[in-house]
Amino acid sequence: MTRRGFLIGGSTLAAMGLRPALAQRLQVNPTEFQPLPIAIPNFVAGSPADGEVGVGVTQVITNNLQRSGLFAPIDQAAFIEKITNIDTAPQFQSWKAINAQALVTGRMTRQGDGRLKAEFRLWDVTSGQQLTGQQYFTSPEYWRRIAHIISDQIYERLTGEKGYFDSRVVFVDESGAKERRIKRLALMDQDGANVRYLTKGSDLVLTPRFSPSTQEITYMEFGQGDPRVYLFNIETGQREIVGNFPGMSFSPRFSPDGQRVIMSLQQGGNSNLFVMDLRSKSTTRLTDTPAIDTSPSYAPDGSRICFESDRGGKPQIYVMPAGGGPAQRISFSKDDTNGSYSTPVWSPRGDYIAFTKQGGGQFSIGIMKPDGSGERILTSGFHNEGPTFAPNGRVVMFFRDPGGNGGPSLFTVDISGRNEQKVPTPGFASDPAWSPLLS
Amino acid sequence: MKVDKTLAASIALHVLVIGWGLVSFSARSFEAPQPEAMPVDIISADQVAKVTAGIRTGEKEKPKPLVEKIAEAQPVDDAVGKITKKEAIVTNAAPDQPPPVEKPVEKKPEPPKPVAKDEPKPIEKKPDPPKVDPIAEALKSEEAKKPTPKPQAKAAPPQPPKPKPERTFDQSKIAALLDKRDPTRQSITGAALNPTASLGTHAGTADAMVSTWKGAFVAAVRRCFSFPYNGQDSDQFEVDIDIQLRRDGTVAAQPVVVAVRGPSKSVADAMAESAKRAVEQCQAYAFLPKEQYDTWKYIPMTFGLKDML
Repeated sequence: MTRRGFLIGGSTLAAMGLRPALAQRLQVNPTEFQPLPIAIPNFVAGSPADGEVGVGVTQVITNNLQRSGLFAPIDQAAFIEKITNIDTAPQFQSWKAINAQALVTGRMTRQGDGRLKAEFRLWDVTSGQQLTGQQYFTSPEYWRRIAHIISDQIYERLTGEKGYFDSRVVFVDESGAKERRIKRLALMDQDGANVRYLTKGSDLVLTPRFSPSTQEITYMEFGQGDPRVYLFNIETGQREIVGNFPGMSFSPRFSPDGQRVIMSLQQGGNSNLFVMDLRSKSTTRLTDTPAIDTSPSYAPDGSRICFESDRGGKPQIYVMPAGGGPAQRISFSKDDTNGSYSTPVWSPRGDYIAFTKQGGGQFSIGIMKPDGSGERILTSGFHNEGPTFAPNGRVVMFFRDPGGNGGPSLFTVDISGRNEQKVPTPGFASDPAWSPLLS
Repeated sequence: MKVDKTLAASIALHVLVIGWGLVSFSARSFEAPQPEAMPVDIISADQVAKVTAGIRTGEKEKPKPLVEKIAEAQPVDDAVGKITKKEAIVTNAAPDQPPPVEKPVEKKPEPPKPVAKDEPKPIEKKPDPPKVDPIAEALKSEEAKKPTPKPQAKAAPPQPPKPKPERTFDQSKIAALLDKRDPTRQSITGAALNPTASLGTHAGTADAMVSTWKGAFVAAVRRCFSFPYNGQDSDQFEVDIDIQLRRDGTVAAQPVVVAVRGPSKSVADAMAESAKRAVEQCQAYAFLPKEQYDTWKYIPMTFGLKDML
């Protein structure tokens, strides 16, 4: 009542011109998200030979921003002004006319020493101001990487959040007939380009995970004996067994500092969580239950661990301190499917845990807060599994198997549940793991 | 000295009663609750007049005063009964015939149109006296002790004697259902002309107190405002932006970011830019009422991310 009195009084005063302003700020909240229209004309060629790389960089940037779902790149055919010089301000009116809100101009120039110079400017079309501008030097074969870095700059400047384009994905490439699948570890850029195979496919590999340094991968491999957890160095191609345990070791993952690997060790019919220090090789037991504890994942600050356990009957997600201790169940199926939860992974942003949910004959990918609240299903279907977060915690990648004679493929989806996209891979693909940002 | 016994008794009694009253009624002192302070703007009669006054330049909303001429008192015509031209109206609407039961007797006295009933158009609704002055008719009917007010209503009854119940709805004759009588409206007259020859009632600033344009303005800006942040803490982000507008509803100057709030400065800053873009993108706000320009030439706004998925 008192507040209302203030309001009325305020507007009365304003009405009489005694005060030039409204007493109360008008509150505006968006109703629904719309992608930002952005114009990305081809990068200008600094010399006649650079036209091709300029177009290539532009296409990579356009593709990145488009796939993010946050931007709506405008078709180049609609452009009115042709950018020929990036050192003068563009004709903003002609970009306003096609409803662009942001404009990217750039130039690629081959230097005398053989390196490639990339320059770009990001303009706010409505205000006519330059929002950011950078230049980079690189050897010509890394032009895609430059395009990803520029994409990240644009993304970060316009959203305020770190980008995720300059990152890689390690996954299991599957080829051959269904009953004799060959599974190889493969590495690619997040947009599906530059695929490299890391193993030959003679042994079965599963659950590859990136180290924070992005130079190493840990994964599980079925060799001659029991499945074991391995470390693999991307640069040197060397691999080594993590620890020397009797029985099976599986579902490994790096700690956020990269110094430790946490994994499951089989003990009889049960499995428990262990963490191994990679330098001292010392191993610490974290759980001791007559149940299957697996799929551990650290919180980004390293203080807690989420993992999957069937100690309550069905597989559910639990959270406990990183050094072990009492675990708290956080997953509770709220619908009538009475579903089970598995493969939890903590977002690098710390705010969500992604999971696979099984129930009602469906496999779903979802996220929930670390206290178990705010569950949101992002996608549902015959078989969806193995979520992994983009470095900025904004996008989740997972694999989907449609059933039948086909095979799995990789997909991304925004944590809002919007913008599901298939990730191009050479063949069938499963078990993706997203790297941190490379730079 | 002799003491008056009655006086003594009276004093004693008074003391007793008053003393008793003091003791028994003093149980608790009455505590008035502290009244809550309420903000009040004091405005003078002069200011009130300003708020409610019209503006000289205001548009004239009602070119005609309500009363057009002064007239002698006239008996008000019964509009329903005022028929200038008789026309056969074929209708389907009349038929529920409750009247026949009630007023069989009254019908008899009306002989006028036996012929009409014989005609192929069975449903003549107006067998009543055709070109009659309503007043005269009223008088007549009063004499005849018929219910005066509704000659039409009376007209319907004559049918019952004629058992022609079949009414066919003919779509092509819908036009016939329309009332084709001349409009009966005459200048509205009264004892005095409307005393307020209004100068733009609609331009008065009184309605400036009603925040009608605000909702429209917020809706217009919202149309262009979109920001992709979707973290858990999104509802903590807010951006205060001041907007200056020209009289034609266009943005007079770059919107000014007054304050940003939120867990991440970079996200809040990006949001502020997004909000500024939205304001400029959606101009001009031509729907804002020009007469109230003073109230919206400067609009402070707060952009938030609540309720956004």
